[in-house]
Amino acid sequence: MIDTELDEELKRSSASGRTLLRIFAQAIPHSRTVTGMVVAVAVVSILDSYYSMIRREILDQYIAAGNHAVLAPAMWRYGATILVQAVGVLAFIYLVGVLGERIQYDLRRRMFDHLQELSFSYYDRTAVGWLMARVTSDTERISQLVTWGLLDVAWGVVNIATSLTFMAIINWRLALVVVAVLPLLFLVAIRFSELILAEFRRVRRFNSMITASYNENITGVRVVKALCREDANLLEFAHLTGQMHDSSYQAARLSALFLPAVQVISALAAAAVIALSGWQTRVAGLTIGDMQAFMHLIGSMLWPVQDLARVYAEMQHAVASAERVFSLIDSPPEVHDLDGASDPGTIRGDVDFEQVGFYYDANKPVLSDFTLHVRAGETIALVGPTGGGKSTIVNLLCRFYEPRRGTIRFNGRDYTELSLHAIQSRLGVVLQTPHLFSGTLRENIRYGRLSATDEEVESAATTVGADEFIRKMDKGYDSPVGEGGQLLSVGQKQLISLARAILAQPELLIMDEATSSVDTLTEALIQKGMETLLRGRTSFVVAHRLSTIKRADRILFIDGGRIVEEGNHAELLRQRGRYYHLYTQQFRRELERERDELGTGALASEAPLQD
Amino acid sequence: MSTTDRTLSSAEYDLSRAVHPNRLIGLWRLSAGFRWPYLAATLSLALSATGRAAASLSLRYLVDTVLAESRFGVELARVVLAFFGAALLEAAFSYFSGIWAAHTGEGVARRLRNYLYDHIQRLSFAYHDHAQTGDLIERCSSDVDSVRRLYADQAIGIGRIVSLFIINMAALLRLNVPLAWLASAVLAPLFAVSVFFFRRVSSAYQAYQAQEARLSTVLQENLTGVRVVRAFARQDYEREKFDRENWAKFQRGRRLWTMHALYWPLSDALCGLQMLLCVWIGALRVVDGTITPGAYVAYSALVIGLVWPMRNLGRLIVNMSTGLVSYDRVREIMQQPREPLLEGDVAPSGPLRGALVFDDVSFHYQSGHEAISNVSFECAPSQTIALLGSTGSGKTTLANLLPRFHDYDSGHVLLDGVELKRYPRRYLRQQIGIVEQEPFLFSRTIRENITYGAGRPVTMEEVEAAARTAAIDHEIRCFPNGYETMLGERGITLSGGQKQRVAVARTLLKNPRILILDDSTSSVDAETEALIRSALDRLLVGRTTFIIAHRVQSLMNADLILVFDRGRVVQRGTHAELMTQPGPYRQIYDLQVRIESELEQELRFVRGSTSD
Repeated sequence: MIDTELDEELKRSSASGRTLLRIFAQAIPHSRTVTGMVVAVAVVSILDSYYSMIRREILDQYIAAGNHAVLAPAMWRYGATILVQAVGVLAFIYLVGVLGERIQYDLRRRMFDHLQELSFSYYDRTAVGWLMARVTSDTERISQLVTWGLLDVAWGVVNIATSLTFMAIINWRLALVVVAVLPLLFLVAIRFSELILAEFRRVRRFNSMITASYNENITGVRVVKALCREDANLLEFAHLTGQMHDSSYQAARLSALFLPAVQVISALAAAAVIALSGWQTRVAGLTIGDMQAFMHLIGSMLWPVQDLARVYAEMQHAVASAERVFSLIDSPPEVHDLDGASDPGTIRGDVDFEQVGFYYDANKPVLSDFTLHVRAGETIALVGPTGGGKSTIVNLLCRFYEPRRGTIRFNGRDYTELSLHAIQSRLGVVLQTPHLFSGTLRENIRYGRLSATDEEVESAATTVGADEFIRKMDKGYDSPVGEGGQLLSVGQKQLISLARAILAQPELLIMDEATSSVDTLTEALIQKGMETLLRGRTSFVVAHRLSTIKRADRILFIDGGRIVEEGNHAELLRQRGRYYHLYTQQFRRELERERDELGTGALASEAPLQD
Repeated sequence: MSTTDRTLSSAEYDLSRAVHPNRLIGLWRLSAGFRWPYLAATLSLALSATGRAAASLSLRYLVDTVLAESRFGVELARVVLAFFGAALLEAAFSYFSGIWAAHTGEGVARRLRNYLYDHIQRLSFAYHDHAQTGDLIERCSSDVDSVRRLYADQAIGIGRIVSLFIINMAALLRLNVPLAWLASAVLAPLFAVSVFFFRRVSSAYQAYQAQEARLSTVLQENLTGVRVVRAFARQDYEREKFDRENWAKFQRGRRLWTMHALYWPLSDALCGLQMLLCVWIGALRVVDGTITPGAYVAYSALVIGLVWPMRNLGRLIVNMSTGLVSYDRVREIMQQPREPLLEGDVAPSGPLRGALVFDDVSFHYQSGHEAISNVSFECAPSQTIALLGSTGSGKTTLANLLPRFHDYDSGHVLLDGVELKRYPRRYLRQQIGIVEQEPFLFSRTIRENITYGAGRPVTMEEVEAAARTAAIDHEIRCFPNGYETMLGERGITLSGGQKQRVAVARTLLKNPRILILDDSTSSVDAETEALIRSALDRLLVGRTTFIIAHRVQSLMNADLILVFDRGRVVQRGTHAELMTQPGPYRQIYDLQVRIESELEQELRFVRGSTSD
């Protein structure tokens, strides 16, 4: 992923003007801060050159001309300049820092808000890692350009302008020498900045390859050992670190050459000024103070030139970042409330699919002409092979997607006439792999209904049989679940997600049954919890376990986007068709698993009783 | 190729010597082979600083000799040349110092990366059982980078500040001794302010980073849990949650910048005051005749060179301390003992026959719980041993003893009549093949994965033949890139059944004498199951095989079945023998039979209900 991003940036040769404008538009709401920052840095920059002028005055007026009255006021001015400059530095660092954080905050917030609206089709084609990078690193790059980039430009331009002005005031002919050298200085600086940046990109790429290599060798260490691959792997890895070394060294070499090259060019200018000083002393009365000020002004022009070159080189990367960020913010959500969408107060009632057609990719229809009538309170089990269309039916029901053709009706009303919130706030969804959020157990259960009291949370947990394991934990309901719920077992996570769904008091229940096996005790609890949840609710279950399938009022065998078989358990078995086949296979497998789990331990201890 | 050659020669220095309780000694040893470049980098810095000081001193000559006495002939040319020469000297040595510093830092980092990579893959199973991948990678990447910066930036940075100080101070002392001491008046307060603030800056920075991590977690959980968020219509709740963390990050960022905003002007003001003091007193001394105007000009240039570099000292010290912490974290890995692969006093030249005797073998894990106890059995070459038992009963542990992934605590294992512990681990692992239930494949092409363990050049014909035997050839050809199809993150993901058959092909090319295989085929359909079964059956021909058994077929064909319970063998024999005696084996077998009859019954019931 990093690779393609880098390639994308490499291809981009020029910064797009419109994107650049939009980047700087980020600062418009904070225009006072920006103004303050630019003013502060301009003051600091002008005063930088002013020191040279004070020192020149002391040298020429006080030392050379012996005018004793000059020293004290000059020193006061010097001190005042230090003070003003310190305040200026304080102001611009604070302003630029806070502005940068604020712009990042704004961008992150806007992206996050928009991500909450974007449709599942967007999430399907976009990796989470890609989105994360947009919200984290790209916002940072954009704000860098708006703040430090802008600041560097302001500082650099003012600094060079004041330096040149002061030089011209002192001696315009010598100043012309410096002006002549400036373009060369910029050209060299920009070329170096570009080369260095290109090299650092290669370093970054090698670095991500090295990390991937470490990752694979550590996760696969058992295979590496079993296949005696240590030496061959080290050789391959050493090749990679060799390339990394060469690239980093090259980058460092260029960086090491950058400053000296700029210094030599400016020293050339300074030497020319010295060489001409004799002539100018005779012609224009150049003083010692003038010379000292000149030398210092030339020396201090190095830094703005370097900074300006760097900002220029980095600008195209910030533009690339910005284009990605803006494309995210600009992409419209496909599923959204229609004008006049309403909330009928309940979605209880019959559910109808009327000739529903759906595809993710226009060439591969997933559902076509799918028609189904479900009475209120019915439990529907969806079975069939992977990719047959079960998940799509569930996704359409939740209105994660909308039908491309046909209509889905809740209680007789086309569900696109309802608001998304009206539907989704009344759904109970239990996913195949339960997703928990960092936080406590209580917070995770309460996610189902935010207004629930502690008692209600606990009673929901008790209903699904989760209460017991929760109370055994150190902090009970206030125990943390860890990132993504990693502190809990798979079975415990499933129980919590059931409790969460129960607490939501859903009007329509949609459940994708877990396939992962958990220990027998937890399995029994989950079964019981599901039973409670299904009772009296219109439910759609993508079912994998026989007990769940048998309990359903109606079983639909879905394949190729159609209902292949339909009926209750006994009816379908009698047909001896696809369902029959699936059932017998599943039956064997479940009992075999049971056998494995009981294992020899349990059997061995029971053996004397049975024989 | 040249890169590899250089690497191997640089790997000659054994970094285990760089593990030392004293961090500075450890870092010193870590830099072995790069001390001359480091010294050269530091000396170059000193020469570069000398160049700058010389340029400043040439200004004195310009003022006192050329301008004051209006001698614009040869004297002026001399000044110009001297000034430019000094500038060239400064530039050249600044470049040399840069490249030698990079040579040191990058060289040490590369050697350390290679060493860590190799070290980790040679650590024992006992270590890897408890190791956290994310943490290890973090140490190998960002901590190694901190160590690199310790050499490339901070060590050189210290050298730079010290040499600039010495050179400029020497030049100042040459000009005028009291004025030289005056020029260094600010150093103590500057140092104190730097250390005071940079401690706070770095703690504010850590708080900022920690908040960044929290924000990322909220974001990631929101994105991966998007279905849950939408299904419960919790967008607003999520927005609030994100905004809380987002705002907290903004506030911590503001705090961090406040620290910076206080520190930099304060240190700037201190440096400015120092300049003021020097200009003032210097000017007085010119007027009272103590120094010449030229000396005064040189003096102010030198003071700048002395004072401003000191501003960076605080940052340097803080970065250095993070670098030292990183070294500690890397050292923790390096301290772990390696698993000796070649240790052993028998070295058979040919392959094993595969005769095994287990005599009263026991093994404990480090955690103390007993894994297997008092296991004894024998098997002849090419026999098949089936291991049966519930999860945690000791089957896998027993299998892991053979390639010496773990060493047994007591008893004897005789392989071809020789004690197992006398064989070098590498030799054993070359002779033993393992096919796991969910095999690990690498992010390489399918062909590279199949040849991964062969340990010799393999022709394409051999690869294809192995794939055919493993019943995966046809499926591989169906991929757009055939055998060159990439697997893993940058490629396609194989199903569990396909992975298992690629692993069978991999093992076929390795051609081991002893085979350990997990015959579980839980998550595949009947057709794939048949394919895998036939592939496995072909694999075990002519090899001593340990099957961690889940299927009745494996059990029926085994020469010996060992039934495990809590680390002990509770029953043994062939299928026929075990069927004649009461015990767990027959229970399991009966259950298998019962499954079929129960199914039969249910179907009969359904049929019966039809006639109702």
